[in-house]
Amino acid sequence: METQLVLEKWIGVISTVTIGANKEEGGSRANTVKIGGQSSLPLLFKEGNIPNRPVIAFEIWDTPPLDWPEELNSAYGKVLNDPFAWADKCVNEFKAQLLCVRMQGTHPDFGNKNPQEAAKFISMLLNKVKVPLVIIGSGDDAKDNLIMPACSEVAKGERCLIGCAVQDNYKTLVASVLADGHNIIAESPIDINIAKQLNILISDMGLSLERIVINSTIGALGYGLEYAYSILERARLAALSGDKTLASPFICFVGQEAWRAKEAKVDAHHGIIWETITATSLIQSGADLLVMRHPVAVEKVTKYINAFFDK
Amino acid sequence: MQKFKVTFFPDNKSIVVEKDKTILSAAISAGVYVNSTCAGDGVCGRCKVILKSGKVSTQPNGMISAEEKKNNIYLGCLTNIHSDLEVEIPVSSRLNFDKLTPEELEERLGSLYSKVEDIQQVKAEFDDGLFKHSPFATKLYLELSQPTLNDSVSDLERLYRALRRFEEFPVIQTGLFNIRQLGELLRDSEWKVTVTLGKRNDTVEIVLIESADTTDKNFGFCFDIGTTTISGQLIDLNSKKILGTKATYNQQATFGSDVITRIVYAGQADGLEKLHEAVCNTMNQIIRELVLENNVDLNDANCIVCSGNTTMIHLLLSVDPVHIRKEPYVPTANFLPVLRAAEAGIKINPRGLLSCVPGVSSYVGGDTTAGVLSSAIYKKDKLSILIDIGTNGEIVLGNKDFLVACAASAGPAFEGSGVTSGMRASSGAIQKVSINKDDFSVKYSTIADKKPRGICGSGYIDLLGALLEAGIIDKSGKIKVEDKRIRQTETSKEFVVCFKEDSDAAADIVISEADIENLKRSKGAIYSATAILVKHLGLEFSSISEIFIAGGFGTYLDIEKSIKIGLLPDLERSKFSFIGNSALAGARQILLSNQAMVMANILASKITYFELSVDPGYMDEYSQALFFPHTDLAKFPSVKF
Repeated sequence: METQLVLEKWIGVISTVTIGANKEEGGSRANTVKIGGQSSLPLLFKEGNIPNRPVIAFEIWDTPPLDWPEELNSAYGKVLNDPFAWADKCVNEFKAQLLCVRMQGTHPDFGNKNPQEAAKFISMLLNKVKVPLVIIGSGDDAKDNLIMPACSEVAKGERCLIGCAVQDNYKTLVASVLADGHNIIAESPIDINIAKQLNILISDMGLSLERIVINSTIGALGYGLEYAYSILERARLAALSGDKTLASPFICFVGQEAWRAKEAKVDAHHGIIWETITATSLIQSGADLLVMRHPVAVEKVTKYINAFFDK
Repeated sequence: MQKFKVTFFPDNKSIVVEKDKTILSAAISAGVYVNSTCAGDGVCGRCKVILKSGKVSTQPNGMISAEEKKNNIYLGCLTNIHSDLEVEIPVSSRLNFDKLTPEELEERLGSLYSKVEDIQQVKAEFDDGLFKHSPFATKLYLELSQPTLNDSVSDLERLYRALRRFEEFPVIQTGLFNIRQLGELLRDSEWKVTVTLGKRNDTVEIVLIESADTTDKNFGFCFDIGTTTISGQLIDLNSKKILGTKATYNQQATFGSDVITRIVYAGQADGLEKLHEAVCNTMNQIIRELVLENNVDLNDANCIVCSGNTTMIHLLLSVDPVHIRKEPYVPTANFLPVLRAAEAGIKINPRGLLSCVPGVSSYVGGDTTAGVLSSAIYKKDKLSILIDIGTNGEIVLGNKDFLVACAASAGPAFEGSGVTSGMRASSGAIQKVSINKDDFSVKYSTIADKKPRGICGSGYIDLLGALLEAGIIDKSGKIKVEDKRIRQTETSKEFVVCFKEDSDAAADIVISEADIENLKRSKGAIYSATAILVKHLGLEFSSISEIFIAGGFGTYLDIEKSIKIGLLPDLERSKFSFIGNSALAGARQILLSNQAMVMANILASKITYFELSVDPGYMDEYSQALFFPHTDLAKFPSVKF
């Protein structure tokens, strides 16, 4: 006898966020990337519409990474010393759809680059590669408030995804994103209420909810993955049940978390598996945009995604 | 052990203490009142003192700035005494015990059953029709027949016989004190005496026998003993008139601002004694001033009824409250017998009686029972909620068939304590605020129209609402604009409500982001407790037909703004009534009517206590409420900024 699946009827739809703008749209990107837009839980195609696949962004830095383990560095080799060559390798060799650039070199402890230098870097990067960009600060609130407006301004019209706004420091970033036509990442510390509050605070400043991507922060496999999983799940259930203030796509910084795990540093195979499993798990709970580091892990996760969608 | 003399200024009080005692403990022993909300744990930073001379040792802490260090400012609780000392207590570290004037209080407390808009016009009147007038202590004038050979019953039985002509008292008791002096007294007064009868549990006691007719002089007191504020009234038991009302901060504040800190303190050496003494001092001070101002002889004050939370009543009676704090949170007693006031250290007539309004549980006390009694929600067919907003907020939901109560630890912010420019609702307290959207100029009105001295609870509610409306703070309570009224201090941003030169305060009257955070937690605790209680009973807010708001606010409470900040649920405004201090009103009813006392006992055993901490949804509900008005905006559809 055939088992009849019970199908949920959802009333909410996740907003569609477009990253990147092509010539017609006033930018210079060769392609654009859409995330979100679904009216169903992840990969449950019968319950609703899932117009866009989860997308992977390669993480690059504006400065040679200091704390990446050798197992990860060896996947890139010498290009890590030249951010533009690094970006180029991601796009041309690994076929990256989009890049996530972390402005680590602006951090007071890692180079302390000034806003002009940061803006110049972004401008050159936009010339060098034609994929859409996610740009994130170094995590030093005071410095990010100087750097990010400059980066935002120089990328005006390119419809980047810029982050991360946090509850205690969101106004400067929102104002820049609003002025320069980008999207924003709203970061909350594994807390669904703060995620929601921050979305409200940002939309109160005039940036529409449709331009927000939630970073609810995650932990890697064995390091809090289950908490991250359940927060994404709860937020998504609320959104599909009609809560517009949570109906944003999710971005997950998978590479950053997976490669911090002790296990990932044993050897490259361990690390790749750690990053892959963290990513695939989070896709099941709602991740729309995954920021990853190891090209082999990206390849595996891409296959995994395609297997669901190409059926 | 070496001993040193410590002298405190400006009080000029000295005390000799052992070496290594802290300055704070010396101050407490000397009867000098120093602010200390953490009870000496070194975390609140409120007990700053200035060392004039002498040697001390102190522990490093983040509370004293470099500038303060240079000026010999120390944290009293972390500084040990190593020689004779002279210590100055700066104004900012003193506890302010000044009292409200009667007019202010009459307005403040006299708000029973009035709609919010009418509060200032409506006069306080005890609800006469509700209970039969039969005060806690009653005076009867008796003219006894003289004994003869034919009528030779004893003096005491003769007295009882005369009494039973008034009413068939089943059991009459008389203390040995009265019997010993009875023979002489009856003969000296030519058999004309006034007997004061007290209702003591199920019996009637002859409290006092006096010669001649003194029935026109029969007074009593009712009190509300709050964690932060103590209020008391002097009542003429014959006319039921309120002769005076006074309130002051509970002197126990020096041992911590919440009940838990005080229970912990009660467990320390002499702790219970000091807490007991502090509450008695506070009450006796109010009693003394009330009798003086009204020309009442303290000997004519025959009884007192106290409502208060369970911990406060334990401390009043010097009963160790330690088990209230420990699972499964059981108090020593909820129903207390009628006692002699003198046994508790309360100074009225030495034979006068003291009754405590019975409580429900460790965290829902007699103040709640009194509130239910005076709001009369237990008589209504439809569902009502009583929300008592205080340091320990209590919420009762029910009707004539059932009553369920829970407690929410809201903190003292709405009583004007623990916030930068906070003060009690007394003269000069800012209680209404509006802010111009364009230039951020502030308009305010104060209690008694005096120059502003600070901001009271209802003022803070108004101010938060105004800051949100003017777009000065965002929904998380952070200041989001720049202006001459906004400045950055060492620790947080603040908004100047009133500059020093326009005020009667020692500094600019401000609200800081830290204050807003504090108030946000208080309002979040009250709202989420109410929401959980409603949810727990399987109800919706919409099924509630009346909501009574009680609390020691000013003369008014803006319901619209209370909803705007998310303190109260977003319901039709006509459902809300601000009823002032309902615990004091209930105590007054009990003082004036035995029927009310009986009803209070019934209510206390009828109210079901609901423990919030066991509800798995509480933390989530609370975190959601930490936003203006609420993280779930759909719950506040009428609120727009």
